[in-house]
Amino acid sequence: MTDHGEAGRSGAPPLVVMEHVTKKFPGVVANDDVSIDLRPGEVHALIGENGAGKSTLMRVLYGMYPADGGRIVIRGEERKIASPRDAIANGIGMVHQHFVLVDPFTVTQNIVLGDEGGPLVHLSDAEQRVKVLADSYGFQIDPGAVVEDLSVGEEQRVEILKALYRGVDILILDEPTAVLTPAETQELFANLRFLREDGKSIVFISHKLDEVLQIADRITVLRRGSVVGQTTPDETDKAKLAEMMVGRPVLFRLEKPTVEIGDPVLELRDLRGGRLRGLSLEVRAGEILGVAGVEGNGQRELADAIMGLRALDGGTISLHDRDLAGLSTEAIRNAGIAFIPEDRHEQGLVLDMTLWENTVLGRHDDADFSGRGGVLFLKKIKELATRLVQLFDVRARSIEVNASTLSGGNQQKLILARELETDPKLLLAAQPTRGLDVGAIEFVWSQILLQKAAGRAVLLISAELDEIYALSDRIVTLYEGRITGEYAPDTPADELGRGMLGGELAGEPG
Amino acid sequence: MAASPATVPAAAIRERPSWLEPLLVQVAALLLALLISLAIGAVIIILYGENPIDVYSAILEFAFRDATSFGTVLSIATPLIFSALAVAVCFKAGLFNIGVEGQFLVGMVTATWAALHLGFLPGALLAVGVLVFAMLGGMAFAAIPAVLKVKTGAHEVVTTIMLNGIAVSFLAWALNGPLKFTATEGAFNVDLRSDKFSTDALMPNIGEAFGMKPSADFSLLFPLALVAAALVWFLFKRMRLGYEARAVGSSPGSAQAGGISIGAVQIKVFLISGALAGLIGMQQLLVDKGALVQNYEAQLGFVGIGVAFLGQNNPIGIVFAAIFWSVLSRGESALQINTEVPREFVIILQGIFIMTVVIVYQVARRWAARRQLAREGAIDNMEDSSATDDIEGLAREDA
Repeated sequence: MTDHGEAGRSGAPPLVVMEHVTKKFPGVVANDDVSIDLRPGEVHALIGENGAGKSTLMRVLYGMYPADGGRIVIRGEERKIASPRDAIANGIGMVHQHFVLVDPFTVTQNIVLGDEGGPLVHLSDAEQRVKVLADSYGFQIDPGAVVEDLSVGEEQRVEILKALYRGVDILILDEPTAVLTPAETQELFANLRFLREDGKSIVFISHKLDEVLQIADRITVLRRGSVVGQTTPDETDKAKLAEMMVGRPVLFRLEKPTVEIGDPVLELRDLRGGRLRGLSLEVRAGEILGVAGVEGNGQRELADAIMGLRALDGGTISLHDRDLAGLSTEAIRNAGIAFIPEDRHEQGLVLDMTLWENTVLGRHDDADFSGRGGVLFLKKIKELATRLVQLFDVRARSIEVNASTLSGGNQQKLILARELETDPKLLLAAQPTRGLDVGAIEFVWSQILLQKAAGRAVLLISAELDEIYALSDRIVTLYEGRITGEYAPDTPADELGRGMLGGELAGEPG
Repeated sequence: MAASPATVPAAAIRERPSWLEPLLVQVAALLLALLISLAIGAVIIILYGENPIDVYSAILEFAFRDATSFGTVLSIATPLIFSALAVAVCFKAGLFNIGVEGQFLVGMVTATWAALHLGFLPGALLAVGVLVFAMLGGMAFAAIPAVLKVKTGAHEVVTTIMLNGIAVSFLAWALNGPLKFTATEGAFNVDLRSDKFSTDALMPNIGEAFGMKPSADFSLLFPLALVAAALVWFLFKRMRLGYEARAVGSSPGSAQAGGISIGAVQIKVFLISGALAGLIGMQQLLVDKGALVQNYEAQLGFVGIGVAFLGQNNPIGIVFAAIFWSVLSRGESALQINTEVPREFVIILQGIFIMTVVIVYQVARRWAARRQLAREGAIDNMEDSSATDDIEGLAREDA
């Protein structure tokens, strides 16, 4: 945490000043009289819970929304920014979470797209320019590589280069690390330091507090549309930032309930198929087993295999000694497994359906919710939804709105409500807090610990070591489709890290 | 948990029903599209040297001047309702049944066979038997792409297009072979056709009760089409299968993880669609002609795609869209009789209208997405909202 620039070159005049910016949507004040300034050569972190107004503020700056009040001053002159095109002309670029690249095109073709400078494209010249640009900021990228062959981290570099190619010196990054592995994150930070040295001003929107403390020169905290404070990493720490964001103290380590560990509930023996190459483990009643590992080592396949969503080449899955192999997903759910999928949009919710329709998904054929003739009991389903939404404090306008309108945290609460209501024997939680802010993470964690307290077994698959440590009674590491080690919850991270990279399998001492 | 500014616990608030606003937006968009396409049509009419108001009022008058005219409109709309419902049922489950046309033709063949061979059924039961066989024929032919899709992954658009060609040939073969007329008394049969059906096999003409002349061909089929629309509505609003189909259609991964068998749902939905498609031909078979003829009216299965789109795959919308479509279709005759504008103008107008609706709906959808996004307060969290893709898309286009 010693890595800070010249505190944003506080002597230099600010590049951008947003004064008293107010942005209202019908019924919501997304930004209420917000003032913020960006100086050359600083990384300015903008943090806050989901819904705090940080993305809205930056979208106003990037010309995606017109502000209802306030003014924007760029390099000392008041400017109206009516569109992203205006923003780019004023030297402001934004990289969104979802990349928009043309996959079959090369890096250079993507970068010059829309800025070709005439009807004829001199690709070799452009490639040279891209190369010079990338080298000058330490970006590791081959300008001739085809985008579809790139990793997510490399694609992000292309997006940033796209903005830099257009000459921006104010770069807004919306949750840039959400899609990156820890190593890629460090590489991004190295690039950002180069940009900072060059006098660029970088807005870093995030709710990962450790990263913010590591890279930011100044930190502005938003809550409910207003600025609640501005600080620097030297003056604050994680707990203080979290309290500013949420408005109350946040526990990063929750009290683990003491429960007697019982008999094995779920036993996996030698699972094979796809990325799984002989995976075995068991989870006991009252126990949270954390599966740690770098993503892409079979986490998704493991969860899908347990839920019957993927055919296996071999191995057995048993729940309380009952063989689950070959059962349908429906039968596996009925046998007592609840599932929090790693991708809540792809495997959790039907976004175009209402909250009440989503709360009954997976249970819609229970005798409680539909009759033998196949007619749904809407009244009972809506009662269930109303009750669960209240119980889990899902914040939405009504149960009639579509799940797509909820924030990520509330979507995850909806899934938790649905899955835990069934009184499962085993909870399978895959990356349960991905993309959530601290308040929501705390809620999800406490719900998972409640399952343990109730004597249920929990299989937690997570790429976040914080999460593994906070919840697990026992930790196993997953590498290339098999378990490479078993550890106590107080094992140091570097030892776990060896297991996550193969451990003794890779020929290193365990 | 800290509340975001505008949101409160869901259960706390009861507001105006969630379907109201989309419906209003839809109706407004439709009217706007109608105005735009009528304006474009007016230009074409003027180029023909006619007065647009005269031409349009001729079309309207022809459809609405008396009970018989309107009855004719409804008769023309009847097959379109079945056809569009067949398309919509599949569409809701994320399937593109381009094979409604083929299923409709096969349904005509099986219905004809039933009408000619099930004469032992007493009275009106014969008509019921014919309808059942029409549906079975459509279902059987829809089962082919359904099973191919579920078992092999063959895309239904490709298989159904190919099967349409087979259905045309199947009908031609049947008309030349097993269904070819046998009775030669009276006159020569210039055209190939089946024998005339007995009156018990036909749909009773009920136009008289509404003051229509028999020439309106207004039969029991129209109320049957309304019943079919109501059943489809019920299927998707109240039934487990409809719920599962919508889940599969909009998020197969979540549906599957929720324990829904995607393949089983797809097969059931295809069969329902095929049954509806089988009824498309009944208006011409059991009301207009009383036999299967060689110059049958084809393409109704394809028109259904357009009508389903106009009705936004909503059963109620489809009924109105089908009636609107047939007002225009009937207008062909009005143009021939009353104006110098060629009858093909109607087809041009229908085409313009569909294209305008596509554009206007798209614009309205984005507008509604912006509004909803803003109102629901999922503002800072746009990566989690499907509506944001639209917004971001817009922003990118601007850039």
